Amino acid sequence: MNPGDDISGLQRVILNERSRLLRFLAARGVGDDAEDALHDLWQRVAAAPTQPIADPLSYLFRAAENLVRDRRRSTVSRDRRHQDWHETMPGEEAPTGERALIARERLREVQATLAALGPRVELVFRKCRLDGLGQAAIARELGVSLSSVEKDLQKAYRALAQLRVKFDAE
Amino acid sequence: MAMSAPHPDIQEAARLWAIRVQDPAFADWDGFTQWLEADPAHNAAYETALDDEAWAVDLLAAAPPVAAVAPESQPRRSWWLPAGAAAAAALAVIGGWAVLDRDAPAQQIATAPGEHRTIELADGSTLALNGGTRVTIDPDTPRQVVLEQGEARFAVHHDASDPFVVLSGGTRLVDAGTVFNVVRDGDALEVAVAEGAVIYAPGPDEVRLAPGDTLKSAGKGARPVLGKANPQAIGSWASGELYFDKPTLDQVARDLSRSLGRPVRTDRGGERLASTGTLILGGTPEEVIARAGPLLGVKFVANGEGWTMSPAHGPPR
Repeated sequence: MNPGDDISGLQRVILNERSRLLRFLAARGVGDDAEDALHDLWQRVAAAPTQPIADPLSYLFRAAENLVRDRRRSTVSRDRRHQDWHETMPGEEAPTGERALIARERLREVQATLAALGPRVELVFRKCRLDGLGQAAIARELGVSLSSVEKDLQKAYRALAQLRVKFDAE
Repeated sequence: MAMSAPHPDIQEAARLWAIRVQDPAFADWDGFTQWLEADPAHNAAYETALDDEAWAVDLLAAAPPVAAVAPESQPRRSWWLPAGAAAAAALAVIGGWAVLDRDAPAQQIATAPGEHRTIELADGSTLALNGGTRVTIDPDTPRQVVLEQGEARFAVHHDASDPFVVLSGGTRLVDAGTVFNVVRDGDALEVAVAEGAVIYAPGPDEVRLAPGDTLKSAGKGARPVLGKANPQAIGSWASGELYFDKPTLDQVARDLSRSLGRPVRTDRGGERLASTGTLILGGTPEEVIARAGPLLGVKFVANGEGWTMSPAHGPPR
């Protein structure tokens, strides 16, 4: 009846599991801001739909992980805006045409890197990260075990990380 | 990145955590916390793994679509066949395959009890109809299906700019992902999401369902109840099997009746069984019933065309 019931349910879980969530937030790089982040989490939970949630603790950890990512993303984009503003001053930025060319070339290398890992690794990576399928669903669809899906993803992540290191060195 | 690169083992571990945490089924948050706490370099390596991955995904997502990305490397249904089992018998359960063309008038498609049928829509989405099901499809609105009655599993070609909508009993379900199962039984509606996401009753009271989420509503206006199911099991009937996880006798009776096309009744409907298992639907209804008994811990008594079901260890009736 009372729309507040389920919200206070989730918030009760935050209170009960406060130390675990704080530990996670601190370890996740929020450090001294952990209390502040937990407060953000509390408010996000208040804005969440009022439906019962099957596994509230896992839901809260997931929300905390997303919160850390959002915070980091906004810091990075603030830094980048700052940097962009400075960079446009000396006028040494690559012309738009050249940048597009570089982007196309990098895309081609990413595609070639994935293709070189074999059709299944590429398919698993695309299904997981571009189509947003869960690993269990991919395993089922391809008729392979969950651990081989995980191994395929590891191969893809490893190769992409190496490629990025190479690009950064260029 | 001017930061000194962490040890390769740490990088490898960080990537594995990134892969695991990203999965919707991930639950080992304490294990993850412990790993992060063990060394401050771990979180930095984890962030790098997320960045590398996001960088590649952004590049690929912005790429023009490639026709036929990769071959379908495996026969799609191989996973559920028990090793060397009678594939032909099991496949026989999967009924006709129809392709609708765009200029046809709205049509109602119904399956007889026990009949399975798969329909492919113009956009490549498919819906598998379980037995005793009726849907209306209008080729003028190819992204909308009305489920009048019964059960259907939707594998939807997702397009955020043109969402796929299922209408059932005045309730709208909007796909925000790919594979979901809908049951309409009288006024009651059940939705379960296997992959992607579905928005139930978009609007101020909408509910977003993620993989493994289920929603039951007794009728329009009733408060929906959320639950969890094994995402692998959702809509499993469409591939010739039924997955039960501590079902009520009512649920078993309904699923069996629909899949076998023969009435299965029970007088002890609300009672919940303790069993969990996968029932392969291959073979005759009698063979399926014979397998279902020991699997679920129930007994069946032939009753005219169908069966009456009761718990195997229940009091004699």
